[in-house]
Amino acid sequence: MKLLTHNLLSSHVRGVGPRGFPLRLQATEVRINPVEFNPDFVARMIPKVEWAALLEAAETVRTLPHARVHLPGEWGGGEWSHRQPRARGGTPGDDLGLCPQLHLVEVPKGPIEGYEHDEKFLRQMHHVLLEVDVLEGTLQCPESGRLFPISRGIPNMLLSDEETET
Amino acid sequence: MDHEAAQLEQQHVHDVYESTAPYFSDLQSKAWPRVRQFLQEQKPGSLIADIGCGTGKYLKVNSQVYTLGCDYCGPLVEIARSRGCEVMVCDNLNLPFRDQGFDAIISIGVIHHFSTKQRRIRAIKEMARVLVPGGQLMIYVWAMEQKNRHFEKQDVLVPWNRALCSQLFSDSSQPGRKQQCGHPERSHSYHPPCSICSCSVCFKEQCPSKRSHSMDYEPLMAGNCCADVSKEGEEENGFYNTLGKSFRSWFFSRSLDESTLRKQIERARPLKNTEGWANSTISIQPSRHSSLDLDHQEPFSIREQNLDEDVFVETSQKPLEWPRASAAVKHLHGDQQGEVRRNGDGNFLEGAHPSDNCVNAGNVEDGNPSASKILKRISALNSTDSNPDETISVKEQQPNVLDSRAFMRYYHVFREGELYGLLKEHVAELHVLSSGNDHGNWCIIAEKKDNWD
Repeated sequence: MKLLTHNLLSSHVRGVGPRGFPLRLQATEVRINPVEFNPDFVARMIPKVEWAALLEAAETVRTLPHARVHLPGEWGGGEWSHRQPRARGGTPGDDLGLCPQLHLVEVPKGPIEGYEHDEKFLRQMHHVLLEVDVLEGTLQCPESGRLFPISRGIPNMLLSDEETET
Repeated sequence: MDHEAAQLEQQHVHDVYESTAPYFSDLQSKAWPRVRQFLQEQKPGSLIADIGCGTGKYLKVNSQVYTLGCDYCGPLVEIARSRGCEVMVCDNLNLPFRDQGFDAIISIGVIHHFSTKQRRIRAIKEMARVLVPGGQLMIYVWAMEQKNRHFEKQDVLVPWNRALCSQLFSDSSQPGRKQQCGHPERSHSYHPPCSICSCSVCFKEQCPSKRSHSMDYEPLMAGNCCADVSKEGEEENGFYNTLGKSFRSWFFSRSLDESTLRKQIERARPLKNTEGWANSTISIQPSRHSSLDLDHQEPFSIREQNLDEDVFVETSQKPLEWPRASAAVKHLHGDQQGEVRRNGDGNFLEGAHPSDNCVNAGNVEDGNPSASKILKRISALNSTDSNPDETISVKEQQPNVLDSRAFMRYYHVFREGELYGLLKEHVAELHVLSSGNDHGNWCIIAEKKDNWD
C-alpha cells in the first residue's frame, strides 16, 4: 500500500463519518519501491494531498527499525542511480534505527510556492507518496479503534455487517 | 431483506469469484476499448478508482494517472497485486474513501451483481460520493437485450464451468499482448456466452452472421463463435434453438427486488437437496461433472470460449474441434435428468472450501503448473480425445474446483434505459453525459455535479 493510497482511505465504520479520516497507520514491514519519476504527474497530485494525514503516515514509517524496511538494491546505485548517495552514515546492514530513505524531516509541510517547478520538492513528494510501500501493518479507525489489516501490501477494508452503515 | 440479498451475493458472486480466481491468472483478456479510451482521456495526474477491478485489467492502461483497484474478492486482488498493481479489498456498498477523493471511477461489470435495486443504487451513490465535483464515472452492466440470445428474466444464475473454459481467442487477438492484468472477472458479462460453452446458460438460439456486428472495436468472441457455428450449417442452428428453449427454464421467474427476494431465498433454502432446486423458481443448469462431461464436452469446446467472460486472448492458440451437434444434444439431455448434483446441495460453494481452492497469487504468477496444465490438457482433450479424467487429476488437491461444478453467478441483467433511469431518479448528484450499448452491455458515463456536496 502506497502512502498516496493511504491518503485516500477513510474508515466507514457505522457512525464515524468524516471522523474516520485519516486512518492511523502502523507499519511492521515496508518496502521501498523505485518508481520512475514523472514531475508533471507528481505536481498534479500535490493539490489532492491531505497533508496532515500524509505527514503522520510518513512519520510512522520513518520510525520503523531499519530491519523492517526492504530496500530495492544497492543503496545509492542501480535503480537508484538517479539519486544522490546519501551520507547518512548508514548502509543496508547498519542498524540506524531509522528508515534511511525517508527524509521526513525534509518532507514539506505543505505545497511551497512554485512547487510545480521545484525538482527537489517534487522528488521528495514522489518518494514519499509513491515509493514507500507498506507490506504489513494495520490501519486504525481514529474514532472507533477498529483495525484493518494490511497483508502482502493489500489493505483489507471489509467490515462485518454489524459494523457497516445501514 | 438486505441480509438475504447479501447472502445471495455471498454465495453466487463472492464465493464463486473466490473459488474460480486461480483460473483467471493464466488467461489474458482484452480491455474493452471504450473503457480504455475513457481511462486514457483522463488528465495526467488524475486519481482514478476501478471499483470491482478483478485481476486488474484496467489498472495499467494509463501510466499518467494513479489508478487504485478495489475488489471484494481477495484472491483476485492478490493476482492484481502480483502484477504490480496498487489494490485493496473493500466493498462497493461501503467504500472506505474520503469524500471527493477521485477524479474518475470505473465500474465495469459490477453493478449487475447486486441483487436488489436498493443495493445497486447504493453502490452507485457510494461511487458518486467519492468523486470530485466534475469527476466522471463510467458504468458497464450486462444488458438483458442481446442480439443472439434471450434472457427470459432479469435475474439469472449463470454457471461458470472451468473445465469448459478452454482457450479462446478472437480474430483480433494480438499475440504477445501482455499488458493486461488477468481477466476481468467482473466484467465478463460483455460477451454473452456461446451456447456451446456451458459457461453460461445463455445459449445462442441462432447464429446469424456475427460479422455483421459493427466492429468499431476489436471483434469479440461472439463474432468468432458465430462464424464458427455458421460454418457447421443448419443442423447446428437447429440444435442451438433447442438448447435455447430448454435452458430458458433455468432463469429466475421474476426479478429479485425486495418484495420477491425473500420469497426466492426462502424457496432456495431447502435447496440443500436437488429436488429443492429443481422445483424452485430458481433454475439452475444441471451440474456437469468434468470427468464425465469433458468427454462429452469435448465437442463443446470451441475456439472461443466464451463464456460469459470477456474475450480471452490465448497466448498459444489452438484450434479446437467444433462440437458435434448430436453428441452435444445427447449429452445435454442426459444431464438434464434432473440432477443438480452438487449444485443442489448448495454446499459446493461453501463446502468446497473455496479458500483452499484459491491459489496463492504468488504461485499463480509463477505459472501455477496445475492451472496451466489444465488449460493445456483441455486443449489437448479437444484435439486428441485424451482421457478427461486426467485433466481433473492435474489439479491435485482440488479436483472439486474442476469438477463440473458449475459455479453459478448471479446477475441482474439490465433492460434498456434501466441504468439511466436508476441514475436519473435515485442518484441526483450525477448528471448523465452519455449512454449506449457496447457489445451487449449498457454503459453510461456520468458526471458528479458541481457544488453538490
